[in-house]
Amino acid sequence: MLALLDAWLVAPFEYGFMRRAVVGGLALSLAAPPLGVFLVLRGMSLIGDAMAHAILPGVAIGFLLAGFSLPIMSVGGVLFGVMVALLAGAVSKMGGQREDAAMASFFIISLAAGVLLISMGGSSVDLTHVLFGSILAINSTALLLIASISTLIVIILAIIFRALVVECLDPLFLRGQSRRSGWVHSVFLGLLVLNLTAGFQTLGTLMAVGLMMLPATAARFWSKRLEGLIGIAVLLAMVASTGGLLLSFHLDTPSGPSIILLAGLGYLLSALFGRYHSLAAKLRRKTTPLALEQSS
Amino acid sequence: MSERSLSRLQLHDLHLAQGGRTVLEHVDGDIKPGAITALIGANGAGKSTLIQAIMGELRPISGEVVCTVDKARRAWLPQQLALDLTFPMSVEELVMTGSWPSHGALKGYCAAHYRKGRDIMARLGISHLAHRPLGELSGGQRQRALIGRTLMQEAELLLLDEPFANVDSDTVDILIRILRQMADDGATIVVVLHDMDHLSRLADEVLMLSGGHGRWVAPSALNHPHAPSKVVPFSLGGRHAGTA
Repeated sequence: MLALLDAWLVAPFEYGFMRRAVVGGLALSLAAPPLGVFLVLRGMSLIGDAMAHAILPGVAIGFLLAGFSLPIMSVGGVLFGVMVALLAGAVSKMGGQREDAAMASFFIISLAAGVLLISMGGSSVDLTHVLFGSILAINSTALLLIASISTLIVIILAIIFRALVVECLDPLFLRGQSRRSGWVHSVFLGLLVLNLTAGFQTLGTLMAVGLMMLPATAARFWSKRLEGLIGIAVLLAMVASTGGLLLSFHLDTPSGPSIILLAGLGYLLSALFGRYHSLAAKLRRKTTPLALEQSS
Repeated sequence: MSERSLSRLQLHDLHLAQGGRTVLEHVDGDIKPGAITALIGANGAGKSTLIQAIMGELRPISGEVVCTVDKARRAWLPQQLALDLTFPMSVEELVMTGSWPSHGALKGYCAAHYRKGRDIMARLGISHLAHRPLGELSGGQRQRALIGRTLMQEAELLLLDEPFANVDSDTVDILIRILRQMADDGATIVVVLHDMDHLSRLADEVLMLSGGHGRWVAPSALNHPHAPSKVVPFSLGGRHAGTA
């Protein structure tokens, strides 16, 4: 039994790349879910997805210029992501179109451009790699980058936390409080882009959103408090990223989808058995009045 | 004229438009501190538009709003549903966000702030709801919590857009008392009202919007059964509220 546990849970980490991958995954699990929680609370769940597409051309240009270098690709991704976010914001301000509509237009353009760029310079293997990630490619530089970005995100999030909360709850109040209230939204989008660029190495550009959103949406079934939501989401993400890596190692599946599917399983289970608004909670609520009647 | 120089909110020949359509023209007036000014008019008369302009959310086509109240001390309560009620936040946390102007967005709260918050909740009769999520409050409880935030904010200019819609009568009584206290402490208060009963209990001054213009009228004149014909026409120099 112990030998089996050892073979399943411990032995994989004798490989350097697995150790790096798990540390990278845990770092991402600290930074991504809080952002996801705020996205969910602001009703912007799909914006994360849009931003993930938006960074792709930048990543692709970085790839064309410098080959598979994470720092260069990340810088490209951040620049492009921020540009798309600004453009979408500008278009929505200009034309009275809602920001999500403008974002939807830009992200699909970005996705097409990114795929085109990567296929121009590389093979379909490279494309798969960028879109879906690969744990094998995490070297020490990449790990350092992921950890630094995650740390930065957590620190900045802590600094703007209260402003962000107020902006979610009551943007009007925030605007009343400060002329520079717009920065909160911009900084938040910036953190989003940063996080996605950090995540695409392990998870791929498309899958990186999953570690942000799935734990956050699952946490909604377990807590009604903001601190609770963030704590549970981080915990879920850590379990999913570590478990997903182990699964991908043993079953020889791609790491990104394995991690995300495990997080997805967490989401489904939460929807079924969570404390609030889940199927089980609904059934429980139906029985409560009867039980009360009988006891009185 | 000394009274005018004291007022911290003045409207000068204001011309406001929404989406290319003129809503209000030639609106003048200075809104007294220490008094409660009611803004009345039919739906679409421009009440919310004027409030937006006062808050600086809408730029006038011409004319200007002169407001000397520090931006952080201005509070605007729009009609209720502007607030995201699914947001996981308790009543106490909402009230505490009002401490920003004195405290900033970054620093933690200290014991004195919490004490002040608890005092305010007690005044509003919502102490027992302190840890209740916003989404589980009734309309009246929510409105009390929001007024609690403006008290925490020590608001000097308060703009309320139909604060008594969907609110129980106990809450109305409490809010009227609190607003009166705030006015007595020197706050400038503008309230959009529909209900004549609320108007007579609350308003010291009335600005009536109709046909794209604003007219200052005496609250007592509005209580008359043939109110519109008895309305005193507006002129900038003369304030009628005290005299009528």
